[in-house]
Amino acid sequence: MIGPIPPKRLSKDFDWSLLGSAVLLSVISLTEIYSSTMTQSSDNFFLRQLAWVAVGILFLFVLAAIDYHLISEHIPWLYVLALGVLVYTLVFGHRVSGSKSWVALGKIQFQPSELVKMVVVVALARYFSDLRASRYMTLMQIGKACVISLVPMGLVALQPDLGTALTYLPPIAVGLFVRGIRPAALLSLLLGFVLLLPVSWIVLKPYQKERIMTFLDPERDPLGKGYQVAQSKIAIGSGGLLGKGLFRGSQNQLGFLPTRHTDFIFSVIGEELGFVGVIASLGLLTFIIFRSIYNAQTARDNLGLFIAMGIVGTLFFHLIVNVGMVIGFLPTTGIPLPFLSYGGSSVLTAFIALGLVMSVRRCRYVN
Amino acid sequence: MRQRDELELLRWRISFVGYVIAAVLLTLVFGFWNAQIIQSGYYQLRAEQNRIREIPLRAPRGRIYDRDHRILAGNRPSYNIILIRENSPHTIEQTAAMLSAGIGMSKEELLERINRKRREPKFRPIVLKDDVSVGDIAFVRARRYELPEITVEYQPRRRYLENEIAAHAMGYVGEITEAELAIPEFVNFKSGDQVGKAGLEREYNRVLVGKDGFKRVIVNSFGREMGKLEEEPAIPGNDLVTTLDLDLQNAAEDCFAGLRPECMKAGDHSGAVVALDPRTGEVLALVSRPAFDPNAFATRITAADWNSLITDPRKPLQNRAIQSHFSPGSVFKVFMAAAGLEAGTLNPLRTVFCPGYATFYGHTFACDKHEGHGTLSLHNAIVNSCNVFFYNVGKELGIERISRYATMMGLGRKSGIDLPNEDAGIIPSSEWKQRVFKAKWYEGETISVAIGQGYVGVTPIQAAWAMGGLTTGGRLKQPHFVVPQQLKKLGFEAREIIEEDYPIQESTVEIVGKAMWGVVNEGGTGINAKIEGFEVGGKTGTAQVASKQANLKGKEYRDNAWFVGFAPYRNPEIVVAVFTENGGWGAEAAAPVAHAVLETYYKKKTGQFENKNTTIAQK
Repeated sequence: MIGPIPPKRLSKDFDWSLLGSAVLLSVISLTEIYSSTMTQSSDNFFLRQLAWVAVGILFLFVLAAIDYHLISEHIPWLYVLALGVLVYTLVFGHRVSGSKSWVALGKIQFQPSELVKMVVVVALARYFSDLRASRYMTLMQIGKACVISLVPMGLVALQPDLGTALTYLPPIAVGLFVRGIRPAALLSLLLGFVLLLPVSWIVLKPYQKERIMTFLDPERDPLGKGYQVAQSKIAIGSGGLLGKGLFRGSQNQLGFLPTRHTDFIFSVIGEELGFVGVIASLGLLTFIIFRSIYNAQTARDNLGLFIAMGIVGTLFFHLIVNVGMVIGFLPTTGIPLPFLSYGGSSVLTAFIALGLVMSVRRCRYVN
Repeated sequence: MRQRDELELLRWRISFVGYVIAAVLLTLVFGFWNAQIIQSGYYQLRAEQNRIREIPLRAPRGRIYDRDHRILAGNRPSYNIILIRENSPHTIEQTAAMLSAGIGMSKEELLERINRKRREPKFRPIVLKDDVSVGDIAFVRARRYELPEITVEYQPRRRYLENEIAAHAMGYVGEITEAELAIPEFVNFKSGDQVGKAGLEREYNRVLVGKDGFKRVIVNSFGREMGKLEEEPAIPGNDLVTTLDLDLQNAAEDCFAGLRPECMKAGDHSGAVVALDPRTGEVLALVSRPAFDPNAFATRITAADWNSLITDPRKPLQNRAIQSHFSPGSVFKVFMAAAGLEAGTLNPLRTVFCPGYATFYGHTFACDKHEGHGTLSLHNAIVNSCNVFFYNVGKELGIERISRYATMMGLGRKSGIDLPNEDAGIIPSSEWKQRVFKAKWYEGETISVAIGQGYVGVTPIQAAWAMGGLTTGGRLKQPHFVVPQQLKKLGFEAREIIEEDYPIQESTVEIVGKAMWGVVNEGGTGINAKIEGFEVGGKTGTAQVASKQANLKGKEYRDNAWFVGFAPYRNPEIVVAVFTENGGWGAEAAAPVAHAVLETYYKKKTGQFENKNTTIAQK
């Protein structure tokens, strides 16, 4: 076991490329949030998002400056605190579109389920890294790892916010795979998941079932969910190679796109900035993900490795579910796109995730 | 396991995760490539269809005025709820289900409407509910987001006079049918258009109809217009000024509505009135009773209303003034007299003794006055409407000459009035009977024809037209509501008014005219039509509906009453034909109606007319 080493000076080994990517994404995000909400005079989404980005960058610097081992040491009580917040949300949170997932802190409202995700990532990383080196995990170990992520996930699912609950799966999935899981165990987990499907079908709310049915058969569409995806595809497709130009997307400006500054922000990018804008945005996100993978591989220890990989899993899952939705590959879920979608909790979480990755990087071996 | 080995293993697994992520991202990129590069054209079109909406701008029909520019048929604003299936986010079943309760129509009813137009292009609006209430409009406007495929369109609608005034002359409008769309006249029309279906609306549809315009607008997802791309304004139809005189029309309508005490015997009866200016052929009034409310057609008429109209035994849709022929009864006698005088078979000084009956070919034919008229001159025979005199006139003329002269004088053929589906009436001849009944003419039948019974059938318009021709010296002017000059000025083709002059001696016109003056002014059957100072002439008719032998009782077997009057009796300016179905005596049930019309005309002419508040139009 290699003990903690004192971190180098922050400025010396700071990953400017990661921050640069995040800032560029934020610029795209702010521009398109402005574009998609400029006709709504009631709320200044642009300024609020700008404030959140600023706060996010601040958090990023703080976390990058802190040694991640320090966070890991404090994770048990942080984890308990997180569960407490989730329980508090369940009891005192207020309901937005059917889910009790918001709490107010003074004037600021946020979704604890987003931030708690990072606590779970670090908690899982700590658990995985503490395990004795072996090719595969034992069933007991798998079970314990599952408990760590499934308890908060269950609390989120109870809100009920199944979409966000699902985003708790990638860190454990990636963690289990990297830590080592026997093909048989993997199969039984998958089997268990499949067997759970009919059960979850009973648990699902009618609107959730409708979303899935709509995805399977877009023509079937009483709530207009297929309509949303159809409009999203029209927006993206009509953007063409270079897009219709900033502030000139008819689907966006005339309101044909649903929840366009949050879940469907990528459709706005596709329409106004075209394939070029899509590739640029996806490229920046991809860069962040692969840079994080690289940082995981070069991490000083397993703790850093698992933290980075947990974040990779989370970011990638958000990306694939959101972008897959706007292009019509996946059913409609209210999962935000990191760095791009409007939403304080989402942006803050993304920057915190990036801060953790930087912290991991700063402690790496340098040959 | 050594730590270094473990690290290698973990790194390898991480790389594997990286490959999976890369593969998935490539799939996504392919998705965007496909949508934005390969299928971009398709989606651009869809986006355009989304934001651009073509809104029809309905052109109002031209107004129809009476001769004094009073509106007979105007327009009022109205709104329809329409469905545009193109780009609809819903199936038609879903749309119908979401809409039905809010606008008070059953889902089945809505689906039926949609399915009727199923094969039409999807961008063409389907009218789901016509002439909707403010509440319906509010319901639709409030659901622009949920139901973007449903909108409200403006459509001016016809407004006619209240109380069925001039209903048959105006006719009515309705949605164009599939059958109509197939004929060349309607080549520029499309499904959903309103066209004239009857009356002047039908006859002058091409003039009255406007040209719909459209505008292409940018709409947002709520259907709200955000900007205009292009607009072709609607061109309203041409207004028509008709020859109808609303005051005369009202006078006649009032009689049949039972509003005038002097003509209570006509009240509530079926019947018809036609008033013409014989000098020009202008139609001054045209009434048919029972009538219908053309306003009911301006909105889509309900199936129940339509059924009750077409199954009503009194046939309210039938324009009795031009589409039905009836035995003219004694009215025919004046034409017999003229024919006899012209043919030379009737000596103007001829007298006949009437014992109350006459026997021809072994059959006895009665006179209305059972005790007989005694010895009668032609003048007195007309004044007293003696059958026996005219049995002889008819017998001496023979059916062929009767037929020839009657036809020449305008009976048994269409007058050519500018209304659709005019009936020709019947003036029988032996050739006609052979053609229609494949039977030979019996001389005895001529005797009945002589007094306007038997096969003879005359429409009220013919009665007025022919009487006008006879009393103006053999000049038949084609009856019309619209003068051709007006149409030409508007740039339409128009046929000239046909004028037929048939040969007739001035003496004949004078004898017959004077006799008819006597009918009204010498204590004859037309006394009820007398107007001080206006020299009214006329002839009553009381035509049997059922033969006397059948001895049938009941209102529907009562005689049909006629009166055809004109004034002044020399060079008349107006001729009025009144027909009252089952009215009984022409003197009681028809002459007072003619009086009402003639009196109104005379008062207007002499400046004594004032609009009393008793007309049906003002009720």
